[in-house]
Amino acid sequence: MDDGGREVARARHCCNEIIITGAAMNSMTPKLVVEGLTHYYPDEYTGESVHALEDINLELYEGELVSVVGPSGCGKSTLLNILAGLLPYKIGTASVDGNVIHGPGPDRGVVFQEHAILPWRTVAKNIGHGLEIRRVPQAEREKRVQEFIDLVGLTGFEDKFPHELSGGMKQRCQVARTLCSDPVVMLMDEPFAAVDAQTRITLQEELNRIAMATHKTILFITHSVEEAAFLADRCLVFSARPGRLKEIVKIDIPREQRNWTNMNDNAIFISARDRILASVREEVSIAVEE
Amino acid sequence: MDRLWWHFQQLLKIDAMNLVILVIVVLIGWTIISETIPNPARYLPSPLAVSLSSVDMLVKGLLPSYYSDTLVRLIIGSSIGLAAGIPFGLLLGLNKTVADMFHPMMNFFQSVSGIAIFPIVVIWWGNSDTTVLAVILYTSFFPIAFNVLSGVREIPIRYVNAARTMGASRYQIMKDVLFPGAMPHIATGSRLSIGFAWRAVIAGEMLAGRQGLGWMIFTGQDADRTAEVILGMVMIGLTWIILDHYLLRPIEADTIERWGLVQR
Repeated sequence: MDDGGREVARARHCCNEIIITGAAMNSMTPKLVVEGLTHYYPDEYTGESVHALEDINLELYEGELVSVVGPSGCGKSTLLNILAGLLPYKIGTASVDGNVIHGPGPDRGVVFQEHAILPWRTVAKNIGHGLEIRRVPQAEREKRVQEFIDLVGLTGFEDKFPHELSGGMKQRCQVARTLCSDPVVMLMDEPFAAVDAQTRITLQEELNRIAMATHKTILFITHSVEEAAFLADRCLVFSARPGRLKEIVKIDIPREQRNWTNMNDNAIFISARDRILASVREEVSIAVEE
Repeated sequence: MDRLWWHFQQLLKIDAMNLVILVIVVLIGWTIISETIPNPARYLPSPLAVSLSSVDMLVKGLLPSYYSDTLVRLIIGSSIGLAAGIPFGLLLGLNKTVADMFHPMMNFFQSVSGIAIFPIVVIWWGNSDTTVLAVILYTSFFPIAFNVLSGVREIPIRYVNAARTMGASRYQIMKDVLFPGAMPHIATGSRLSIGFAWRAVIAGEMLAGRQGLGWMIFTGQDADRTAEVILGMVMIGLTWIILDHYLLRPIEADTIERWGLVQR
């Protein structure tokens, strides 16, 4: 708790410093590196240049779950789209496993906010789609698909079509589809925003379990401070537009201890959550004043 | 197959009864009118007279010959039209700029009916089988191509993005996302295309003077054989109902409804 507090204090002064400290503590090479990423895009209606991101620097290490929170329009989704390769960028660099990002690729898996599983494919066919695209032989494909169907708890729904699934199940299907392709980094864009509150809590616990089981490197974008604090090893708070990395809050709680029955009594969780909330609120009020 | 059988049973259960009653009512009404007007053989021959004429034409072998001519034209013309129109619409849909550019043009051509282009085609190829085939091709190509293009444009971009993030190539995106995503439009577009082609065959045979059902109706009028005219009309309508109910609709139902893209 004390340690987390100090990290936060330092992060407030200079967020770059904490990243360097993080790198020194971790001898592994980072899986995802973003350096000096600045982005402008033309507004869809007025054509004016919108300054979305300003000098973003971050590193994600293997098995780490990093969440990104910030007020609406702070460029969280822009960042994710750039990392996914769906949005070209000009200033700064972003790389996965040392390969600079130029367009989409199977080394990055994306879980979209809205249901992006294909309505004309069954659950199993959707989950195996990435392997199909890479021409993995059918026998191997089926084996891996079953493995991830079981992992996300969709056993028995293999042959259902998406319209026969609940919102929560559709998102489980998306998570399984992404994991099945075995990406280096998993990018999640507010994946639980569209499901009901009860399901959301369950999905958060499930993702925690999956992160533990697969040891995936995950960048998780969310609106919900609670969700960010519950899931993340580190939470990045973005400033109002243009999005800057305002603060990094470490949440040092072992994954085994993270569940909603005892999280609300966990002092580290509470202090991290309140810290993030205060930080985001500050930015929201700035955004409103503008 | 099970589904087809289910449709067939449903038809037998409810529709068939209503249909039989309706047909009987129409036949009775028709007979009464034809019995009360003067010179029914010229203005409105009774159902019985039409049946007798059809038996006569069957025996002479004219009806089967005309009918198969017409059907073959429809099948050849509309299959080429669909086979060309579906990929064309998909290819245009691959690129948003190209799609936006072609959309008004496709809309223009799909609105100019087969009859309207007939004169120019006759100027090019005269009263020939080529002319009839060209008109059928034209009428079936544009509705399907236009519908497929619209369908591709309506596919949510997130489906395409999802495939792209999994490393799909352009061809894989077309095969796995655009084609199935445009399926509802392909199904309705096909029905529309075949329906237009069916009209175009009849009109083409009349105007270009090629043998077939259209020709039969046209010469029937010329030779004052009204029973043949009515027989031709009935054949046209019945053929479409059978085609639509037993071929086109089950295909539509089997793909789209199962995917939950269209709810009935």
